[in-house]
Amino acid sequence: MNVLAGLVRPDAGRLALAGREIDLASWSPSAALAAGIGMVHQHSTLVSAMTVPENLSFGAAALDGGLAFDPGAARARVAALAERYGLELQLDARVRDLSVGQRQRAEILRALERGARVLVLDEPTAALTAEETRALFPALRRLRDAGCGVIFISHKLGEIEDLADRVAVIRRGRIEAVAEVGALDARALGRLMLGRDLPPALPRAPAPRREADAAPVLALRGVCAPGLREASALRSLELELSAGEIVGVAGIDGNGQRELEEVLAGVRPASAGRVEVGGSSVVPSVRALAAHGVAQLSGERERGGLVSGMSVGENLVVKRSFDDPRFFRPGFLDLRALRAHAEDVIARFGIQPPDPDADIATLSGGNAQKVALARELGSGARVLVAFNPTRGLDVLVTRFVHEQLLALRAGGGAVLLVSTELDEVLDLSDRVLALVEGRLVPVPEGADRARLGAILLGRAEAA
Amino acid sequence: MDALLEAALRLAGPLLLAALGELLIERTGVINIGLEGVMLCGAFGAFACAVATGSPAIGVVTGGVAGCALGAVFALFAVVRRADQIVVGTAINLLALGLTGVASRTLYGGAVPTAPAIGTVALPGLAAIPTVGPALFVQPPYVYAALALALAIGLFFRRTRPGLRWRAVGESARAADAEGVAVTRVRVVAVLVGTFLGGVAGSALPLSQSNVFTEGMTAGRGFIALAIVIFGRWSPLGVTLAALFFGAAHALQFWLQARGFDLPYPLFLMFPYAVTLAVLGFSTGRARAPEDLGRAYRREAA
Amino acid sequence: MTAPQRAARLLERAPWVATIGAPVAAIGIVALGLALLGQRPGPALAAMLRGSFGDADAVVTTLLKASPLLLTGTAVALSFRCGVWNIGAEGQLVTGAVLATAMATRIAPDAPAFVLLPLCVAAGAAGGAALAALAGLLRVKRGVSEVIATLLLNFVALQALALAVHGPLQETSAAYPQSDALPAAALLPAAGRLHLGVALAGAMAVATAWLLFRTPAGFRLRAVGLSPVAARFAGLSPEREVMHALVLAGALAGIAGAFEVMGVTRRLFEGLASGAGYTAIAVALLARLHPLAVLPAALFFGALEAGAGAMQRNAGVPSVVTQVVQGLVILLSLGFGAGEVRLLAGRARSRPLAGEPAAREP
Repeated sequence: MNVLAGLVRPDAGRLALAGREIDLASWSPSAALAAGIGMVHQHSTLVSAMTVPENLSFGAAALDGGLAFDPGAARARVAALAERYGLELQLDARVRDLSVGQRQRAEILRALERGARVLVLDEPTAALTAEETRALFPALRRLRDAGCGVIFISHKLGEIEDLADRVAVIRRGRIEAVAEVGALDARALGRLMLGRDLPPALPRAPAPRREADAAPVLALRGVCAPGLREASALRSLELELSAGEIVGVAGIDGNGQRELEEVLAGVRPASAGRVEVGGSSVVPSVRALAAHGVAQLSGERERGGLVSGMSVGENLVVKRSFDDPRFFRPGFLDLRALRAHAEDVIARFGIQPPDPDADIATLSGGNAQKVALARELGSGARVLVAFNPTRGLDVLVTRFVHEQLLALRAGGGAVLLVSTELDEVLDLSDRVLALVEGRLVPVPEGADRARLGAILLGRAEAA
Repeated sequence: MDALLEAALRLAGPLLLAALGELLIERTGVINIGLEGVMLCGAFGAFACAVATGSPAIGVVTGGVAGCALGAVFALFAVVRRADQIVVGTAINLLALGLTGVASRTLYGGAVPTAPAIGTVALPGLAAIPTVGPALFVQPPYVYAALALALAIGLFFRRTRPGLRWRAVGESARAADAEGVAVTRVRVVAVLVGTFLGGVAGSALPLSQSNVFTEGMTAGRGFIALAIVIFGRWSPLGVTLAALFFGAAHALQFWLQARGFDLPYPLFLMFPYAVTLAVLGFSTGRARAPEDLGRAYRREAA
Repeated sequence: MTAPQRAARLLERAPWVATIGAPVAAIGIVALGLALLGQRPGPALAAMLRGSFGDADAVVTTLLKASPLLLTGTAVALSFRCGVWNIGAEGQLVTGAVLATAMATRIAPDAPAFVLLPLCVAAGAAGGAALAALAGLLRVKRGVSEVIATLLLNFVALQALALAVHGPLQETSAAYPQSDALPAAALLPAAGRLHLGVALAGAMAVATAWLLFRTPAGFRLRAVGLSPVAARFAGLSPEREVMHALVLAGALAGIAGAFEVMGVTRRLFEGLASGAGYTAIAVALLARLHPLAVLPAALFFGALEAGAGAMQRNAGVPSVVTQVVQGLVILLSLGFGAGEVRLLAGRARSRPLAGEPAAREP
């Protein structure tokens, strides 16, 4: 998408618009605008301190309108345009005070106003309420009928069935298929989207026996937390994780994934409910969770607590910088012990480069993730909370991470695996839940990918 | 009382001019704490040129150009090369203090000449109004220029497309870039224009408020102007009111002294800074600083 | 490989090239400028060198000038390391000087030396720390940019100094706006002009290096400076570390102020603040924010100031030229790619500069 918008210049290939080849060497945002490509980004690129008419009047394409800016005329023009396409929105409020749906309509208007012939919508419904989504579709159909090309990027099968004429399936940066919508049913489409039905790549030991009445090692009881957005607030989560099991939480970004990660990492206070570790209630702070043997793993370095600019050795101990007497004594940091520890870990995990003093920022994603794993599991943690733990990693490191999770389970530990990679969740988990719009939804045992996909996409009834 | 009013306005003029220059810069997302140095350079440039040519008008323009030259250095490091704006601003202040000191001592040695002064201009008609007329409408041209500029900048931001683009760059450089606005170019132009105004504001010190140049004569006025921008919440009207307030605080100090009130003057000098801090600390509600203020923009990091 | 690329690689491999290069280039540029102004740079440089290292007396002057820079430079390096843009060392130094003087001339003038000396140093440290803590509270509790807060507090402190020497701390004879001379018990032990504070300042720079790189507290402080988000996920509190950094830095700068009145000026007056708080930024950047490297960096700028006087007397070159060198050193350090600064500028300042109530980071 960023290529089409001109934000990223492609390395290779060609781009043709209305039969004309486009010179990609000078491809830029303004070139994309001039060529008639209108982008509606998933994350709004409107200036939030300005009103909609103002937003529509400052861009390169708007400069033809002369130097003067007449707010009244601009407002009237935008109002007329909005009227014509049936896109309702408030014109006098600053964008930051508008609802997500209104912002999106404003972006569509902006693209239309400058005569976009191709409109690219990136996950336009991800943040919309059901009504807003219903209002969007007729508008898009009117655009199509007016001779506009619309590229509609979505995870939601139902929307594509409802709206699209043709569909292209993109998976891992590759176009898997292009077809008329009528030619594919939801199941076929779902299979294309979610990947082939691979046999589980990993040998799974049977779940270790567990005592029936043992308290869950980790439990969420009615946990609520405010969200970054309305749709992603956590609503009364109930979850139990027992020793010797991996519980998968599948979901699509923006449904509360980041919020859940932050609550379980101890950096986002829950507004209601309790977090229990081993049967007793714990005030979830980073320190308390670590002290109770709850380890963390994240697909993003910063959120995994890896401090860029610090060395491998330092990162191995940063989370214990207050209480581990092996390295930290009052007023004294034992660099020798720290180095020895790092060298030991580097050897055991095969971290490259094998240098305890290397800046973690210079390590590849896989090696950085090994450092995080070593730190989190090294102190004998029994519970691991993993968020997209293999995001951006290559096949080998991914497999290594998965093996570590399974090893923890085999040893009587427990893993809560929250991931947007459905394959990962299905391959590794003993039980699967779905996190949809901030709520945990149970997934029936033995559900296949298509069925799980349908639940995640909010179309449970269709599958 | 009218003397107080007159002094308040007269002292507010250059402060307002400098603050408006900084306002232009900050609204595009750049903070230039080198304003103090820019003003000082402007003061010296204006003084030296006015002495040499005998024309205060040429002096004022030279002052602006001198400020602008320093602004170019700032823009090169802080905008084009994206070094930290705070650190570069500090360097600019040191540079200006040193350069103007060296230049003035080299040029004049011990005997600093007197510059031709810029007098007051009476606005025809208005100046004849009893009591307030002479106080408000017989002022140095700086005052009129600053007030007119405040209006012009207000219109620029609200009623012109380039004004909208500047604001967009300051609020969200990423959004502006996606719309095809050349972020770096806008910021460089803003820095150059803003520091030109800072230089002109500086020229008021040797040409209007006193007739000599002394080293470090800005004495913190550049920092006050920075505070005025924050205090005025980044709006031309707010900045105008804030500048008048600070001018009044200054004037009140002289006025009370002249009347023999034995109030310690440092208290008055401290007042504007303390008030700004208090306002920043206690103001609730959404701060209206441009969102991208102080952030270098890199496209790939967006 | 083009020449700039080659240069960049060289600097990456050998950072000391930049450290030496920046001041050398700065002096070169200034010499060139002087030549253009019709001065003879050769004799001027020679005079400066003689004035800073020419004889024992010159060396003592250099050390005395370097001493406050050592402390303020360390203070700035420490706060920058934590991602705190403290440009208020000037005000913190002044506050320290005022409180140390108050202690010596008003609160405990009759105390014996072994009591009064530590009391005065403690008062200075407390003064600087309190001023810095005020800026810290404004940032942590109210989301006010510490850049603005420390900058404005500099002026508040300067006026507080003026107020003090015109009022409560003015000398008993009330002749000049200055304090009484400090009692002998409050003067730092000295050999000639060289007072004990110089050695203590050096020791404190070394201690700060130890703190930053060899203690858990310094470890936490650096982690927050490098990545506040990662630090929070690792269980650290950026707010708390910011306060720690500011209080420590303020105390160091405050002690610099105390040492000045207790060792050099022996009384408080308005001209006491000589810009050491701003020069400190040049010192810290030249030292690449490493307290041990602050030692030579402070010595360099101290020598510059000491030599400038001699240069003005003997070669007619104005002493303010040192500020040009300071400014250029900062710019050139940035230009030569002071890695740490770029790193911090990119990462630590993930918040907007002004406004925004102190939102918790993630």
